[in-house]
Amino acid sequence: MGSIRFDKVDKVFGPNTGGVKVLDNINLEIGEREFVAIVGPSGCGKTTCLRMAAGFEAPSAGLVSVSGRPVTAPGPDRAVVFQQFALFPWKTVRQNIELGLRNKKLPTGERADLVAGALKLMNLEGHAEAFPHQLSGGMQQRVAIARAYVLDPEVLLMDEPFGALDAQTRVVMQEELVRLARVNPRTVLFITHAVEEAVYLADRVAVMTRRPCRIKEVLDIRKIRQAENWDKHARIEDVMDLESFVHLRTQIWKSLREEKVANVV
Amino acid sequence: MLGRRGWIGLGTIAALLVLWFVLTTATGWVSAARFPSPAEFWASLWQVSVRGYAGGQLLTHALHSLKLVAMGFAVAIITGVPLGLWMGWSRKAEAAINPVFLIIRPIPPLAWIPLAILWLGLGDAAKIMVIWFSAFVPSVINSFAGVRNIDRPLIEAARMLGTPHGRLVTEVIAPAASPMIFTGLRLSLQAAWTTLVAAELVGALVGIGFILNMAQQDLYPGMILVGMVVVGLLGWATTWLLGLAEKRALAWNVAARD
Repeated sequence: MGSIRFDKVDKVFGPNTGGVKVLDNINLEIGEREFVAIVGPSGCGKTTCLRMAAGFEAPSAGLVSVSGRPVTAPGPDRAVVFQQFALFPWKTVRQNIELGLRNKKLPTGERADLVAGALKLMNLEGHAEAFPHQLSGGMQQRVAIARAYVLDPEVLLMDEPFGALDAQTRVVMQEELVRLARVNPRTVLFITHAVEEAVYLADRVAVMTRRPCRIKEVLDIRKIRQAENWDKHARIEDVMDLESFVHLRTQIWKSLREEKVANVV
Repeated sequence: MLGRRGWIGLGTIAALLVLWFVLTTATGWVSAARFPSPAEFWASLWQVSVRGYAGGQLLTHALHSLKLVAMGFAVAIITGVPLGLWMGWSRKAEAAINPVFLIIRPIPPLAWIPLAILWLGLGDAAKIMVIWFSAFVPSVINSFAGVRNIDRPLIEAARMLGTPHGRLVTEVIAPAASPMIFTGLRLSLQAAWTTLVAAELVGALVGIGFILNMAQQDLYPGMILVGMVVVGLLGWATTWLLGLAEKRALAWNVAARD
């Protein structure tokens, strides 16, 4: 299992044409099997952080490394779950999940077992031969998560994965993700603009400022979650009613709000 | 079987046939020297189908034209689609090839006929070359646009999954671009038929264009109309076949759009 490290990372878009600095001196370390969420106002560089960890973009300065190795290109050791699912519409659910395993050149029998396991994990049994367009948005995102999990990656990079889902489906998926994280903890970098989602899911929450974005503070959620025993509540709404949850949510909310006011003034 | 819109279309065709009969036969407003009557058309069709005209029967002419179109079209696909995909994928390839392409593209395919005849003579090879050139352009442009319009996350997902280069092309880029590729193929097929007739008008000893050419010299309006109608029907039939292939290949896409 891997770790992620952002070390004095800057990102400038269009450096040849004046340049817009979107990330300013980002320092963040995500330990093994730790779930870290980055929240921030939209348009801040939070997705850019994830894209650099994935290897889709390179930092302008500083270093992004995963498990101690500098990131140079995308690869199956860093599985990405995209906001718009990014499933291959001409492939069935099974073929979508299997592609990464074929790329790893695993033998057929082993692939079939792993795909079956991933389908079961995400409650997708019975949909293996369906095409993505035949599934609801929530189901499609389950496929995308299965496609990422089946790779057994060092780290999981989730870019507002529930942002395109309706409210009800979103809640179900959040609960599901918590279940997965408790059963089989992974190293996760999770991007969202929804404060409640971040507090509910993450071990730590990093709050980002507006452009040029810096990490303003990092809150330790895990300590409070364990102390207040959130996990005994199966339903998200029960957790969200707890005083400790409300307190954390308000704290982050205020932090983000100060940001906006400061910028307007 | 036939939908409401299908019946409307058939109605239009029937009305045109009636109008044709009225103008030429019933009233004689259009003289037979300018446009054939249905009876003359039928007699010409019978003549070329059974006894033959311009050195052969209709089937011989039609098959020959069909063969030229199929070969020119096939060569255009084999060369044009990969080139378009490559230009779409690689900015360097685009930078290298596009300027040449932009200059060659406005040259009408028919302008290549003299050169083609000079190089390859009056035989089939020159015609195939000209058909190829005309069908080549839409295939390249649409394949190119197909790649450029692929959703970026789809490519990123494939790369994140560690997809090797060859598989990226065959299993991601080509299928993602295929709706546009098929649009290009349909335009290419149309261009192929247009060019075929022109090429056969210039120099041929067999083919639909040759029928048209001979009928013009013979002042034979009935046979001219036969040639035109046969080209129309062949073009329609091949387009329909291509549509079937498209429906099969893009089942995932057709269903996704519904």
